[in-house]
Amino acid sequence: MKAWHRYAITIALALVGGTAFAVHQVRGGLSDGRVSNGPWETGKSFGTVDASSLTRAKVALSGLLALPAKEAMYFTATRDSDGRALDGRCTYDVRGGKLDGRWWSVTLYEGEGWLVKNAANRWSVPASAVTADAQGRWAFTVSPEMQAGIWLPTGSAKAFDLTLRLYHPSSDVIGHPEKAKLPVIERKGCA
Amino acid sequence: MMRRWIYPILAGGIVALGAYQATLLATPYALMSAAMTKIGAQAPANRFAFSPMATVDNQPIVRPSPDLSYSTCVFDLTKGPVLLDVAPVPGRYWSVSIFDARTDVAAVRSDRDTRGGPARLALMRQGQKAPSGYEPVLLGYDRGLALIRILLANPSEFPVVDAIRRKSTCKQRPATN
Repeated sequence: MKAWHRYAITIALALVGGTAFAVHQVRGGLSDGRVSNGPWETGKSFGTVDASSLTRAKVALSGLLALPAKEAMYFTATRDSDGRALDGRCTYDVRGGKLDGRWWSVTLYEGEGWLVKNAANRWSVPASAVTADAQGRWAFTVSPEMQAGIWLPTGSAKAFDLTLRLYHPSSDVIGHPEKAKLPVIERKGCA
Repeated sequence: MMRRWIYPILAGGIVALGAYQATLLATPYALMSAAMTKIGAQAPANRFAFSPMATVDNQPIVRPSPDLSYSTCVFDLTKGPVLLDVAPVPGRYWSVSIFDARTDVAAVRSDRDTRGGPARLALMRQGQKAPSGYEPVLLGYDRGLALIRILLANPSEFPVVDAIRRKSTCKQRPATN
């Protein structure tokens, strides 16, 4: 084998391997896991010049046009509070209290971040939809089947994620999102 | 035998690192360009497109919020500054955000920043001048996207919000003599 054959082989493999590894990492989800809080993950540099090239590419793929943290924070959960992957055939209770920001919503997505077809044509639960008790606690149910109370359907999705948007978060949440009080996601059962 | 592969493998390692970084760097530009092409089909450059609410059948960009009304303007600064006049929507969260061709946010102004007043922004490159009354926003690229978000507490509010948001404009700065 001639020398240029060896170079051609390694460089061709390197081009494919380097590109494939980058694509694999970018497709790994919205958050690159830098900040975790229970089942939720977020980043501090979305939409800013401070973002790493990997974070910028991830956000472009899974959350294009995301706002910087001072305006909004995006917490994404792909797992429940016990660490099990969110499954569209299962029913979950999502329970929380007052969130430290001006407004919030939880939206259900599949794939890289697409709304899911469902009979109720409901894709999110905004703060205005829940009824808080005297202690500020609220809850809703994520399920493929219609539920009493506030129901967020999983539709036909096999796997899904939940994105919690917190607009105008407090400076405490911006500075320490890992300590913010966020909802729990509890699996109740699976079909 | 193996020694013949040392330099080709080293060269391959360098190329792999380069391909990895090049892919990461190119991804935001490519996805933003695709988004501007898709959104740009709804309205000409330097003009707002007022989208209907996001539903499963209407998802112009990834991870849309069904609780926000979106209005978008694909801007082009090659012929001079582009002026944004964003009408305030009383009593609710709204914002206008400016994204450059690399997906970075050049500016965000919300009702909190304007204290309920309108947002008036001049999108421009270095060396261009903002007209009086407009806040200058410097961009490192000619093209990008301006996005207005308006919160709806429930879908029935859409007609009222839609009428107000259509007062917002995105336009090339008129030529001056």
